[in-house]
This record gives sequence, C-alpha cells and structure tokens, in this order.
Amino acid sequence: MKKKIVALLVSAVMTLSLLACGGGKETSGDSGDDSSKGQELTVWCWDAFNVDAMKKAGEIYTAKNPDVKINVVETVSADIQTLVQTYAMSNNLDALPDIFLMDDQVFAKYLQNYPEVFAELTNSGIPFSDFASAKVANSVRDGKNYGVPYDSNTVIACYRTDYLSEAGYTIKDLTDITWDQFITIGEDVLAKTGMPMLTNVQGEPDLLNMILQSAGISVFDEKGNISLVNNDGLVEAMNVYMELVEKGILQEQTDWSGYQGSINNGNVVGTINGSWICATIMSTDQAEQEGNWAVTNMPKLNDYPGATNYSAQGGSTWAIASSCDNYDLAVDFFKETWASSTEFYDSILTSLGAIATYLPAASSDAYNEVSAYFGNEAIYSKIVSFGGKIPTINKGIYWSEEKEALGVALANVMSGKLDLETAIKEAQSTVEFNIGM
Amino acid sequence: MRKIKNVSTYVILSIVSLISVFPLYWMISAATNNSTDILGGRLIFGTNLMNNLTNLLEQQNVGRAFGNSLMFSTILSVLSLVVCSIAGYGFEIYHDRAKDRLMGILLLAMMVPFAATLIPLFKMFTDLNLQSTWIAYVLPTISTPFLIMLFRQSARSFPKDIIEAARIDGLSEIRIFATIFVPTMKSTYAAAMTVTFMNAWNNYLWPKVIMMSEKSQTMPMLVTNLSVGYSIDYGVLMLGVLICSLPTGILFLVLQKSFANGIVGAVKG
Amino acid sequence: MKTSRKGLTVNQKYNITGWTFLLPAAILIFAMNFYPMIQALILSFKSGIGNNLKFNGLYNYSRLLEDRVFWTSFKNTFLYLLIQVPIMLALAIFLALLLNKKDLKCKGLFRTAIFLPCCTALVSYSIIFKTLFSFDGYINTVLLNLGIISSRINWLGQEETAKIVIIIALIWRWTGYNMVFYLAGLQNIDDSLYEAAKIDGAGSVKTFFKITMPLLRPTILLTTIMSINGTLQLFDESVNLTGGGPANSTLTMSHYIYKVSFEYNPQFGYAAAMSYIIFILVAVLSFIQMKVGDKR
Repeated sequence: MKKKIVALLVSAVMTLSLLACGGGKETSGDSGDDSSKGQELTVWCWDAFNVDAMKKAGEIYTAKNPDVKINVVETVSADIQTLVQTYAMSNNLDALPDIFLMDDQVFAKYLQNYPEVFAELTNSGIPFSDFASAKVANSVRDGKNYGVPYDSNTVIACYRTDYLSEAGYTIKDLTDITWDQFITIGEDVLAKTGMPMLTNVQGEPDLLNMILQSAGISVFDEKGNISLVNNDGLVEAMNVYMELVEKGILQEQTDWSGYQGSINNGNVVGTINGSWICATIMSTDQAEQEGNWAVTNMPKLNDYPGATNYSAQGGSTWAIASSCDNYDLAVDFFKETWASSTEFYDSILTSLGAIATYLPAASSDAYNEVSAYFGNEAIYSKIVSFGGKIPTINKGIYWSEEKEALGVALANVMSGKLDLETAIKEAQSTVEFNIGM
Repeated sequence: MRKIKNVSTYVILSIVSLISVFPLYWMISAATNNSTDILGGRLIFGTNLMNNLTNLLEQQNVGRAFGNSLMFSTILSVLSLVVCSIAGYGFEIYHDRAKDRLMGILLLAMMVPFAATLIPLFKMFTDLNLQSTWIAYVLPTISTPFLIMLFRQSARSFPKDIIEAARIDGLSEIRIFATIFVPTMKSTYAAAMTVTFMNAWNNYLWPKVIMMSEKSQTMPMLVTNLSVGYSIDYGVLMLGVLICSLPTGILFLVLQKSFANGIVGAVKG
Repeated sequence: MKTSRKGLTVNQKYNITGWTFLLPAAILIFAMNFYPMIQALILSFKSGIGNNLKFNGLYNYSRLLEDRVFWTSFKNTFLYLLIQVPIMLALAIFLALLLNKKDLKCKGLFRTAIFLPCCTALVSYSIIFKTLFSFDGYINTVLLNLGIISSRINWLGQEETAKIVIIIALIWRWTGYNMVFYLAGLQNIDDSLYEAAKIDGAGSVKTFFKITMPLLRPTILLTTIMSINGTLQLFDESVNLTGGGPANSTLTMSHYIYKVSFEYNPQFGYAAAMSYIIFILVAVLSFIQMKVGDKR
C-alpha cells in the first residue's frame, strides 16, 4: 500500500517537474555498483594519501590485467562508517563498494555489530602471517580473518632538533627515557626556548591511550568489560598526562587545525602520534623545517611493571564487502599487490611516505633509505622495528565510548570539578551504561 | 541631538556589519594564502591563489561537483516552490477548520531530528529501488512545513476581491492561482527561493547516503573530503569553501531587494 | 450556473479544489516525514545489537532517566534556548528598527552584510571562530590590550566560557536571518500610526511598546517557533566548534543522539526514544506559542 502511494506520488512529482522546468533532464540515474557488470572494483578510502596508494596498487594490477579497472572513490572515514551502518541497518548491502578502508580503532566494533557486511578472507590464500600479528588481530573475529592490514599504527615521537639543541639537548637525550625524565627535560626546554614540547587536541585523550598501551595497561578485561576503577596503571597514566598539561609541557589545541598549525608553524618542539603523523609534519610551507626533524620512541611509564617505549595509535585495514560480486577478483587483486609486492610497498613508501605493516617489505632497500626531511636518518626501518615491540592489550568494541568517557574524566579533573577517583568512577559508570543497552 | 542619534545609528550598523562580514573576508583572504600562513593567523591577502586553484583542480573534480549541486539545488527549489506555494494558497484561500488542523499537524513534521528518521527513509527508497536517482535526492525535501506556512501567511494578505472578480470572469481556480496569484507574489517566491536554494545547496547527509555513485558528488561532499585528513591544505580547503559559498551569496545579492518585500507579504496579518 | 455539472454546490467545488491544491504537499510530508517518524517511534520500543532488534517495551524510555549524559545535554540545550533565543530576537528587532529609519543611506549594503553570516559555509565559520577564541587568538589579545582581562582565557577549554562561545556564535549566525523577518514586518506598519502617536506626545519607547510590538506579533511568533525548533535540534555548533566538550558541557541533545546512533556502538532504538522526547518538547512549546501568540 505504502509503495503504491509513494509510486503515485513519484509519478505526480515527475509530471509536475516536467511542467515546472520544461522536462527534468536525464540526470544521474546510474547505480553505484556497476562494478558487477564488468571487471571493475570500486574502492572507498579517505585522504589523498590513501587514495594515491590505492591508485598505485590499481596501476600495478591493471598493468598485468588490462581489462580490470580499479575505481577509487574518496570518502572520509566518518562517512564510510555512517554509510556501512546505514546500508547494513536497511539490508541494502549492495550499495557498498567492493573494497573499503576502515579505521583500526572501529574495525572490531563494525565486525561485531554488522558481521554480514564483511567477506571472510581466512582461506582466501592471502598470507596473513606476512603482516604484523598485532595488526592482523584487529580484523579477526572468532579466529577468522576479515581484513587486509594496511596503514601502520606504530607510535613515534617526533622532535625539532634545532629547538632541542637550542636548549642543549639532542635526540639521544629523548630516546629510551621515562615520562619523569621527559618532564624534567620538558621544563628545561620550556624555560630556555619558551616552547612546549608536545601538542595535542583538547578533549581527545589519544595521548593518554597511547601511554596506556605502551605500558600494557588494558581498560577492558578479557571478556571485554570495562575496568577503569581500581586500575592503578590508568591513575598513573592520567597523572602523567595532567602533569604535562599543568606544567605547560603539553600545549592543548582546540582542534585539528590548531594541532596541525602549531606543528606546521613551528610553535612546538614535537608531537607523539601514529607514524602517519609524518605526512602532517612534512606538509608545512616553512622550508626551514626540512632536515630539522628527528624520530625516536616515546617515553615509558616510569617504573610501572611492563612499561615500554612503544605503542599504537590509529592505522587502518582494508575490508572486502560481502556484497562484492567479484570476490575472487578482489582477493586476487590483494594477493598480487598489497599482500605480495614489495616493489609496490617500496613505491608507495618513496612517493607517498606510506608506511605499511607488510613485514617482507621492511627488509627492502627502500625502507633502509635515509630521509632528508628527518635529519638523514633511515626512519622507516626504525618505525618498523618499533612496531614489533608494541605490547598487546585487550581492546573491546566499546573503544569510542571509552575514549569519550576518559576525555570527560580528564577535563573534569583538570578543571578541578572532580577528584581523580570520582572522575574515573563516573567514566566507568558512563561506559557501563552504554554497554548495557 | 538628532545628529548624534543619526551618527550613532551608522556607527552601530557599521560595527555589526563588520563583525558579520569578517569571517567571509577571512575566507576570501585565506583562499589566497598557503596553509601554514592561514594556520598562523595571517589576515591579509597573499599570493597563493593560483597555487591553491591548481591544487584544488588537480585533487578534485570541482566542475562536476559544482554542476551537480547547481542542478540538484535548482530542480529541488523549483519543485519545492511549485508544490508548497500551491498548497499554501490552498490552505488559506479555501481555509476551513479541517484544513487549519491539517496545517497544525504538518508543522509537527519538522520537529524530529533527522538522525532518527534517516534509516527508515533510506529503507523506503531502496525498497522502491530509487537509490542513486535524482528523484531520491529531491523528494524528501520538496514539501516543507515552513515553506507551506510562508505561502499560507502571504496568501492571507492577497486581496480576496481580486479572486472573486476573476471567478466572475470565468477563470478556473488553477488559472487564478497561476496567472494572478503567482505574478503578484513574485517577491514571496524570491524569498522562498533564497531559503530553499540555500538549504538544498548545503544539504549533506541525505545526498551522501542516497547518491551512491561518485558521479553525483556535490560541493559539500567535495569540501568535506578537503577538510578531513592527516595533512589538510587549508589554502585549498578555503578556496573550495569559497567556491561552495558563492552561489548562495550571489543568489542573495540578486534577490535581496525583493527578499525583504517577499517577507512583507508573508507576515501581513 | 450555480452548480457544476456533477451537481456540486459552488462551495463544495471550492472545498474540493482547496484539498486538491494542498494534497501533493500534504501527501509528500506524510510519506517523507510522518512515515519514517512512525518507523522511528516503533524503533524506540526496540533494542539490541546491530541489526538484531527486539521489542523491549518502554526500556529505552526508562533508560533515559538514568542517562547522565542525556540530562547534561538536555540542560545545555535549554540553557542555550533561554539565553540565546531572547538575546538574538531582541537584537534582531533592534537592528531592524535601526535599518527601518526612512532617511538611512546604504540600507541594502547594511542589510546584505548583516544577513550574510547565515550563508557563510559552516567549515570556514567554525575554523575562524575556533581560531579567534583560541588561547593565543585575537579575542584574547584584544581583551588583554584593552585591560578587560588580566590573563589569557582558554575559551573553548572551560565549561562556562565554551558555552558563551557557542551562544555568541549562534547569535552571530542567526540574528541577521531573523532581522530580515522583522524588517519586513516593520515596513508593513502604517506610518500614520506613528504620526498619531507623535501628536499625542508619546516617546519612542512608549511608541515601540504600544504600536510596534503588538503589530510585530505574528512575526515574533514565527521567529520564536523557528528559533525554538532550531535550538532544540542544535547540532552544527556543538559538533564543529567544541565537539560537545569540555566534559560534555556544550553537548546538545541532537549531537548526543547522533553520537549514540553513529559513533558509539549503535543504539538506534535508544536514539529514537531521545528524538521523541525532543519532538514532544518542541510540539508542546510550539503549541503554547500558537495559543498565546496566534490570534487571527
């Protein structure tokens, strides 16, 4: 009945439109998944950086298979998530592209909530053992693989060596240190140069989460339940974070534009983030920054048992949609490029600076080449070596909720509204509320 | 005394105007600077416009997105004006208790957040196999309670004796609407056009969800692609934003005189 | 000729014509708005993971009572409503009065300038507001130099000041839009009324309250209903200026609904239940407005 009414309406409106604008022109009546017709794979991913990497893979594959077309559509990460969810909720999976990129932090969540969206890859022949295992684990559910790891999430600390030497320090002084040592240096640098050591977006506790993982501190237990209360590691990490802010060593920015701006304009000594931050650092228009950057590991959580100088942040993984009509073609595409070709990884590394998690690529020459931008050092092999030392922690599907609740807790403690214990209790009950839907 | 009052009027209006226009000025000046300078807070014009333009055209298909936006927004606005104005006219000229009640019910339609109705609406269109068509793009927002009410109120000020005279002359009801009401209410139409076009042009979530083909990318989608990423080029972004803001601004400039008059008709009690 | 060939009276014929005229619009609204709204209402009685939703009675509504974040967003939204809407509308009337002066030059220029904020793209306006109000931004510099503040304020980093920035941004964006409606309403008032008031020796304040205000009533009603609806569904500023922070102190109800639907593990039923709370609030407030303010 309802269909009839709408159909009637549609014809009524179409007639009206004919009257109104002298014939509605033949506009885009094409459907999104015309890939089914021929040898075409449609890919969604965000940022020119990922788009170019995928296009490069497409070029390599098309060179061998001329009748295949890889069609890359730029779609921002948040939109990919919204669309996957909307199409899954309305049982309209055909609207999805053949391949899409997904943020590592939410991959597990979507896999759990909408398993019907993802094509299983366990027995596809893609050699998952060739990828960093912690990274592969992100897209595994019940022992089955659902994603091809891509963008590295290894955390690096980047500092301006010219500012450091102004204060009498070198990059060595900031390597393999603890947060307590870092704070001492940071205070000194601030006093001598007036420059904060680090920058971060306020209200987003990414750095806090990096500190937690570096010390192997889980905020979820093995069953995926939230455990913020009575978590000594969390208290210690939060205290470090707050000390950094209070002493002015960490300058909080209002948003990403402020964050990028403080780095690009040279208003800050450095930053700690996933290795993809190199792209942000190199995007400055200030030529004098070239060669004055150095990469090292992040400080560790003092004497906390299991504390390391290594952590993970961000990163992304490719998924093949279950609705993909050319499953075999899509798998073959990955096998030929993303899961086998070190030349491919070399080329996206040298042309784009894209650091992947495909292990065989790390031994190639390209990864050992020095980067002029980062003080003539072979930063890429360094980053890969960091990647193997990251502690694994329990990650639940409630990552967004946890991140949000911790952000609120931090803000409440720093504004003096709540004491640390109460704030953590509140965060715990907020996340529990969301889990208990 | 009078002079002082006059001067203060100009002073106040100038200050308010400056505050209002400042972000627009900043957007234009930012489009001529490079990313790092913009983030550093540079407010004066730079020399990077051509560079930004080259980068923008290289990265994005601006022509296609602009064309799509222009086409969809125009179709939507025209259809919207036709459907809502005839309804507003119907509500007022032939008004009785039942129609007034219906108007009250229709007003409720704008009171639920779109996030709640997005998925049912999407499901409806895919059930009808209308996804990725221009019909799906325009249909949900053709008829809006606000626009119907605007035309209903403006019809209230429309002299009834003209209608009577036309009826005696033997004109059909639809002809009275089309040949007498529409031309008289030109200004209301201009006002409605500005508002509808502005909303249609800025519409983001629904087109993003329903238009699955890259070929139907619109300007707001293009700007979103520019504004999210690891290293955003703010010069290119601001140029994109500027191009995205131009049509609504120009339309307002062209229609602004009749816009005020159009609202006059609408609020005449 | 008093009855048409089908035997209908003239009035019946006009009545049918009237219904025909408004039918396309009404059907469209029923199909495009009410049908999904009913679906959302049904959804608000369901809960579950992903696409496996089951009926759960009033569970979502009872959950609302315990949801601290929802009530924070509820309070924030009403604070915006109570402070921002009156200031904005008063300012809009004031500017309209200034712009309505007969001998004023460059009317079109001022009018366009003051109207422009609502056309300015959201991306640019949110970036510039954040830049202006940042710790080392221009607002702090100017206030410092004028001696109004003694040290820099972290505007977007503190609860009260972040709310103030949102309110300022809203006033900036929508005053001109509302002003145009008042301007139009003022041009509609017969000059002879003012002349008469002048002869009676009424001052400008008295004239405003005795003549201008009552005649502006339909416009005030229209703008108030629109502003209430707009504020209760406020989303853009919360998302783009503050991200709802710090500590949810600027989070609006619509922003929270979006988060629960698309950022957290999706709870569509719960989001729908919250939407219906907003729906009822707007409907009630609009109804009161109509009863008080809409006398034909």
